[in-house]
Amino acid sequence: MLNKIWRVIATAFCFSCFGIGGILIGLIAFPLLIAVSPDRLDRARRAQALIHHSFRFFVGLMCVVGVISVELRNVQRLARSGQLVLANHPSLIDVVILISLLKQTNCIVKGGLWRNPFMRGPILAAGYISNHGGSDLIDDCVAALAKGDNLIVFPEGTRTPVSGPMQLQRGAANIAVRATCIVTPVVIQVSTPMLPKGRPWYRVPPTRPHFIVTVEDDLDMQTFLAQGRPATLAARDLTQWLHEFFTRETQQIAAA
Amino acid sequence: MTKDEIYAWLSKTLEEMFELDPARITPEANLVDLDIDSIDAVDVVVKFKALTGKRVQPEVFKSVRTVQDVVNALHTLVQG
Repeated sequence: MLNKIWRVIATAFCFSCFGIGGILIGLIAFPLLIAVSPDRLDRARRAQALIHHSFRFFVGLMCVVGVISVELRNVQRLARSGQLVLANHPSLIDVVILISLLKQTNCIVKGGLWRNPFMRGPILAAGYISNHGGSDLIDDCVAALAKGDNLIVFPEGTRTPVSGPMQLQRGAANIAVRATCIVTPVVIQVSTPMLPKGRPWYRVPPTRPHFIVTVEDDLDMQTFLAQGRPATLAARDLTQWLHEFFTRETQQIAAA
Repeated sequence: MTKDEIYAWLSKTLEEMFELDPARITPEANLVDLDIDSIDAVDVVVKFKALTGKRVQPEVFKSVRTVQDVVNALHTLVQG
């Protein structure tokens, strides 16, 4: 019980830090960045690095105060560029953990967050991709990878439901089959649901959530694109493959 | 191109691009039921452009639901 009360307080503290940090970075760091770096690409790189380091600090903070614990497996496989990272999405903080592991990372951001005062500045400076554009979204993602950004995509498109089967959209696979890039699945396993969709932050889990982040081997995209198979069909095959893979892997670690 | 020609082209294209059973492709068939999403629609549009040289605004497809809707939209386009 005491442990739980502590985690509610610690969670409130961490989230306040996140919000205040977001405003400060937006008000101070990014205007400075724009001043010293007029070139958009260079600015985006620096902004992405700044977000990476801030998130690294933030994940460290959450671990130190005991809100979560994190175990990393094979993260050295993420130290590249132009890498498409496909992960399952059990928790709101998945993206924070992944960005803390990947420098120079782009991601797809919900159009609504452009109006969020905590996040607007950083999102704009880092050149993150909006999911607003509809048909341009895939092209934007392919272009980001081509210029060397890493890109994190959650093939589910939203957080994994706590119960019931996982559902995948085909967008992530469509990016993978159209971009000539490294494609690396990452399995995120959490011991107890932490900030799943529809649960307020103060309803903390009964025990401290333990995250296991496992970076898997790169996919051999040739198996999906062999014999000039059209992108439309390759994306269907890959989506099916990812669905089976993530379902199996998340169950496996849960059982272990 | 007449509507019939567009329909013939479209059903053949859908069959090839998405490995659909031709029996499922009818004018009334709903794109959602055929598991064709907005990304797929863009690919169909790109093929159509290669065939006719007509630029298609993706917005045209916002309101389409069935195969016949697509035929109508493309037909309006080649007329215009």
